[in-house]
Amino acid sequence: MDPMEVFKVEMAGEEYGAKKYREIIMDILQDLGLIRSIGRLYVYMDVKKPVFAVYGLLRTGIPPLLVRDVADVAQAQGGFQIKVNDEEHMADLLKVLWAKYGRERVEQPSRDVVVVASDVSPSDLTVADLEAEFRQDLTDALLRVAPEGFRNRRNEMTENSFFFIAAEDTLKPELISELTEKIRSMENA
Amino acid sequence: MLEPVMFTGGVYKHDLVMELVEDLGGYILQKNVTQSEVILLLLVPKEDMAALKALISELRGELVRAPLAGTEVAVVTPTLAIHHLPHTACDIAEYLRRNGAKSNMIGLARGVGREIAQINEYESMLINEHDAAVFIFGNFAECIRKKENLYRNISVPVLVTGGPEIPKEELPYAFEYVPSVGRITHRAKKSTELGTLDRIIEATGRALDRTRTEISKDPLTTSPPRVMDAVREQVPEVEYSFSPLPIALNLNGVRVKLNHEKYKDAVKAVKFDEGVTLGEIATIKPSKMKDYILVRILAMSETGFVF
Repeated sequence: MDPMEVFKVEMAGEEYGAKKYREIIMDILQDLGLIRSIGRLYVYMDVKKPVFAVYGLLRTGIPPLLVRDVADVAQAQGGFQIKVNDEEHMADLLKVLWAKYGRERVEQPSRDVVVVASDVSPSDLTVADLEAEFRQDLTDALLRVAPEGFRNRRNEMTENSFFFIAAEDTLKPELISELTEKIRSMENA
Repeated sequence: MLEPVMFTGGVYKHDLVMELVEDLGGYILQKNVTQSEVILLLLVPKEDMAALKALISELRGELVRAPLAGTEVAVVTPTLAIHHLPHTACDIAEYLRRNGAKSNMIGLARGVGREIAQINEYESMLINEHDAAVFIFGNFAECIRKKENLYRNISVPVLVTGGPEIPKEELPYAFEYVPSVGRITHRAKKSTELGTLDRIIEATGRALDRTRTEISKDPLTTSPPRVMDAVREQVPEVEYSFSPLPIALNLNGVRVKLNHEKYKDAVKAVKFDEGVTLGEIATIKPSKMKDYILVRILAMSETGFVF
């Protein structure tokens, strides 16, 4: 069963292609772990033109990952001691701390412990912006999904939606408005 | 009549198999040693097959028919990007290999798209050096019909694979069309997918058989395995070539993986027991693949004799 609320694929005259593209899109979104973050997805393609468009509504609102989410911060002599719970974030954490305090004030006495020489608590620093990472992955997924050779691409991303167009020919304003109209009608159908 | 077979077994005593094949007047096309296992591609006289089977069962090895042995097949994709690789192209290439063919993967430089797809002269010539070519296309019937211009000028039989069902009449330049392949983002493992791969192999077999029949109407002066054996014996440098298969067999000749400029005279001078040299019964020219030597054996109508 599709974990998405709505997933429509429309490819005039290419029923087989539409069926297969459904599978391909599912495979790619699953590979990149994006399937849960997309609420609705509309895919339109016209092979005769040829043009490919994807419009999706996102389930957003992923808060950024802070130091206190991934580690326990405790006041220590001359600074703060950070004990990382999930080692996956160690590399990102060190990068952030180096940028904020400078390398000479950050020390790592053991594998999962970092000591920062500072008066200011690092617990509110952002370790990773998951939203930005998600958007990067989504763009990557769209490039993989689009048929190859559709080298003229355009991607509009807003807070909670994206609209991706790829075509072989130059993307003219008329074409873009036509596709917007098409997707709109799919949405209302 | 030589029968193409593949032996798989332990390294221990596999030299007995090689000796027997040579004694029977067969040929060893390829030998692959992978740790403790050895895979031999062999051409064995049909009437002596029982002797080989007896030895192999004694050695607890396995002998299967390899219908595509001694041929080279090109697996052509519109590019080498993630859209075509690894799954579809690698599955097909691997399957061809398991059936004895030597498969080469070729990604076109500008094969993508519907309107913009194109192939250049070098690419066509490279594909023409093979015995057959498998073109892998996608899921849209319209694109598959349109991309005909990629293989229209290829002179070897071309098998086209794609997703949807398309009647053969709509693809006049293809030797055969195999549907339900298309763009796939996972490895072929379901029985239906493996069945499709089998159909590609069968179609390739038919394509090669057609070429064999054509050759038999005007037979080659000598057989390619014999040329391979003679070159291997008289140009010892070929054993030092870094390629896993220093001499690749085609239906109408061989490709010797040595520098053309440096070794063409040595290859031309290869002498047979009958007193002729390879230069007299074959054309020797630079291959489009790297700087290798391409040997194309002349037909009986050109040399006037067969041995």
